[in-house]
Amino acid sequence: MTADTRFLPRESLGRLVAALKAGGRTVLGPVVADGALGLGQIDTPADLAAGVVVATAPGRVRLEAASGQRTFAHRAGPSWKSALFPPRVDRLVARRDGEDRSGVSIEPLAPAVAPVALLGLRACDQAAIAVQDRVLAEGPVTDADYVARRAAALLVVVECTAAGSTCFCGSTGTGPAAGPGADVVLTELEDGFVVRPASPAGREIVDALGLEPADDQLVDRARTAVEDVRRVTSGQLPAGDFAARLVASPEHPRWAAVAERCLSCTSCTLVCPTCFCTGAVQKTDLDGRVSVVEREWQSCFGGDYARVAGWNVRSGTRERYRQWLTHKFGTWPEQFGTTGCVGCGRCIAWCPVGIDVREVLAGIAGAPAGEAPVAPAATALAAAPARWQPGPAGVTSAWESFSRAEVVERRSETGDTTTLTLAVDDEALWATRPGQFVMVGQPGFPAPPISVSRIHEGRLALTIRAAGAATTALTRLPVGAEVGLRGPLGRPWPVDDAAGHDVVIVGGGIGVAPLRPVIDAIRRDRGRFGDVRVALGARTPADRLFGDEVDRLGRETDFDVRQTVDRGDATWNGEVGLVVRLLAPDERITPDAVAFLCGPERMIPPAAAALQRMGLAREHIWVSLERTMQCGVGLCGHCQLGSLFVCRDGPVFSLAELGDRLEHEGL
Amino acid sequence: MAAIVLPPPRVGVVKFASCDGCQLTLLDLENELLEVAERFEIVEFPEATSRRSAGPFDVLFVEGSVSTQEQLEELRALRNRTRLLVAIGACATAGGIQALRNYLDQPRVAAAVYPEPAWAASLPTATPLSDHVKVDLELRGCPIDRGQLLELLTALRVGRRPQLPDESVCGACKRRGVACVLVSRDLPCLGPVTAAGCGAICPAFGRACYGCFGPLPGANVAALSRQFVERGMPADDAGRAFALFTSWAQPTRTTAAGSVPVTTHPDRGQEVA
Repeated sequence: MTADTRFLPRESLGRLVAALKAGGRTVLGPVVADGALGLGQIDTPADLAAGVVVATAPGRVRLEAASGQRTFAHRAGPSWKSALFPPRVDRLVARRDGEDRSGVSIEPLAPAVAPVALLGLRACDQAAIAVQDRVLAEGPVTDADYVARRAAALLVVVECTAAGSTCFCGSTGTGPAAGPGADVVLTELEDGFVVRPASPAGREIVDALGLEPADDQLVDRARTAVEDVRRVTSGQLPAGDFAARLVASPEHPRWAAVAERCLSCTSCTLVCPTCFCTGAVQKTDLDGRVSVVEREWQSCFGGDYARVAGWNVRSGTRERYRQWLTHKFGTWPEQFGTTGCVGCGRCIAWCPVGIDVREVLAGIAGAPAGEAPVAPAATALAAAPARWQPGPAGVTSAWESFSRAEVVERRSETGDTTTLTLAVDDEALWATRPGQFVMVGQPGFPAPPISVSRIHEGRLALTIRAAGAATTALTRLPVGAEVGLRGPLGRPWPVDDAAGHDVVIVGGGIGVAPLRPVIDAIRRDRGRFGDVRVALGARTPADRLFGDEVDRLGRETDFDVRQTVDRGDATWNGEVGLVVRLLAPDERITPDAVAFLCGPERMIPPAAAALQRMGLAREHIWVSLERTMQCGVGLCGHCQLGSLFVCRDGPVFSLAELGDRLEHEGL
Repeated sequence: MAAIVLPPPRVGVVKFASCDGCQLTLLDLENELLEVAERFEIVEFPEATSRRSAGPFDVLFVEGSVSTQEQLEELRALRNRTRLLVAIGACATAGGIQALRNYLDQPRVAAAVYPEPAWAASLPTATPLSDHVKVDLELRGCPIDRGQLLELLTALRVGRRPQLPDESVCGACKRRGVACVLVSRDLPCLGPVTAAGCGAICPAFGRACYGCFGPLPGANVAALSRQFVERGMPADDAGRAFALFTSWAQPTRTTAAGSVPVTTHPDRGQEVA
């Protein structure tokens, strides 16, 4: 502690509250509401939940009288997440314009933000805000609402001098001492508070209180009390690199044992101060003219969370629990350069059946005998740099940033698939590269991710299969209708890296659509590439995507085009069977060839295996994946695959990058 | 592009074995009711109007469970005259409170309740519509939630899938900032295994959820029932907690079975539910 450290007698706490309120801030702090600790507005210190302790155990939270009159005796605080990251917030409004309602405008809603002071955050809560800063405010694409609320917030941290049984901040390196990012730090003693400004804004507040410096004895007592809590809350997570062991244990029998108890109720994720998953909810008028899009807390335990057209990536509790815990402790550091857990213990205390993550982690990723514990600092904030990709061109904020596009041509491809050609004014979209996608917004519908199937200056083609209500509505749009486009998003196919190599293009069903721009690119610059084999599959001859075009490609170019269907008919005298049949070893394709692969998920492992049998390296086999996406920029969470966001880090990955992720059901 | 003006969809609202509360939710839309009436042609709604229609219906809201042979036959006939059949409420979607009789010997129950049991011609079970006909959409709850009803009507107009969350009541509690009544007060709350949609009304008023929206598909009812026992509830009571408005829905049925109370009627001295 520094010479800045002052002493605030408890009876003078009102001066701090008044100083926080100055400048029009609303002060939020812990209050007693309905027999529990909640978050409420603090106008005077009397509003604070003084003299109560929150006793916690797995599945149990009780408010009890504290011995003594400490203001912040609680040990386990209220959930602060809603203060900066509200459970529901309106983000944009989509309207149908014009007499015939074919026009579309999609505009962001300005965050309705007022200055706020959060009084009584604990170190774990503050660390959680730092984690959310990393996720929502410090990446290439940010959440404008969170950024605005965060900028208007002053953080007053109270360091803990007592720990609950579910507290383990010492084990995660996130407490009990306040970390960087606080504005004012308090440590409570019997008679009052040791106060330390921790930022310029905090210094202004503390200076305005006109306090005496804290004497060394008080400072020592405060430090000792906090250090005691650190000791008590340490050593509760497995020693060594348990994150790596966790990630490496997707088939551990303990997952199924936890699923026997877990209710999939979502409580752990919603009380977790770092869980950031959200979804877009449409609030639409009865005529579908105006639709306000709301960002809503969602959970990886929700039934629809990982559902895509035709299947659910994680259909069972075992897979959902594994996803949550492995992400929180295992893959979060790789994604964000920080731990996902701040040791607050809320997931343990508020679990209706009392599942304790500390026990589960010990069971699945416990240290092998003899492994030395690592210092918690290794997993704490500000560790390794995150994996972030550069931000997508033209998209700086999640959810918003739609630009207008008009349908200028429509072509029915198969019974359920239509290609819309869109005139696009936004030049950022002209720079779309093969394999990238756009979110397509229409009032009243969720905006689905659609990969671009042809790229011209000023025009993009989207080939859309009517798989759900939103995509069905898109396939019915007439010429002249408008939609909103957000993008280009995602990582493109590495077409340039294939220059000088043979190329194998493998597509199935609608998966042929994102491959067409690759074929276009190779044809435009044919001399740069070696031999090209195109292997395409469809359910039936009538379901072949771009059938005439593909037939012409076979006739009019030197591409080796092979096609197959699952079920033939009278019109078909080609191959019948799976795409993998078209991938037999061939002397024309050299082992240093590059492959681009897109189709139904069940097609990918056998096709990738066949390509490897042809001699291709895993680093040269590129796969485009489909997952649920609500934001498309790595913020809504739905598309997570291990440490990867399919939307942001993909959708195009090399087989080497994917590792064994596709081999475990439900990752 | 010329706007295509379609005639408003022909809507019917009918009921079988039920209390009428879910139909009333439609009338309870108040602020939106006139707008709804302009956009949907309500051709059959005995609860609200003496105007009658035998169909056909573009959308038919059906309340109540199938409890008699006549109801079963009428449901099948209505299905044939309906494009989109929407089951509304716990009775239509799960059998309702009256499905408690499904666990018992029906003639004995009838004899206990009615002086002349032969006059009460009913099926031995009260069952959800989906046991008998194809149901296109379901609104759960006892009664249904007006917000979900409005969302369904909006979705029908817009042509989208109604946004009905596939998650438990806990999500609504947490978003509302309601302290969990199970964790903080040991109340036997069915929220963790019950479908969301009500907005967590009961926990918000300090009550345990009694599951009127019914269990989520695949809900881990056994684990929650064990949890009630671990918190000190007698095992019989823990099972009975699930034997209410939606007990006949799977997967509650197994847990509720055997826990439906059989007691002695004070007047007749017979066993009744």
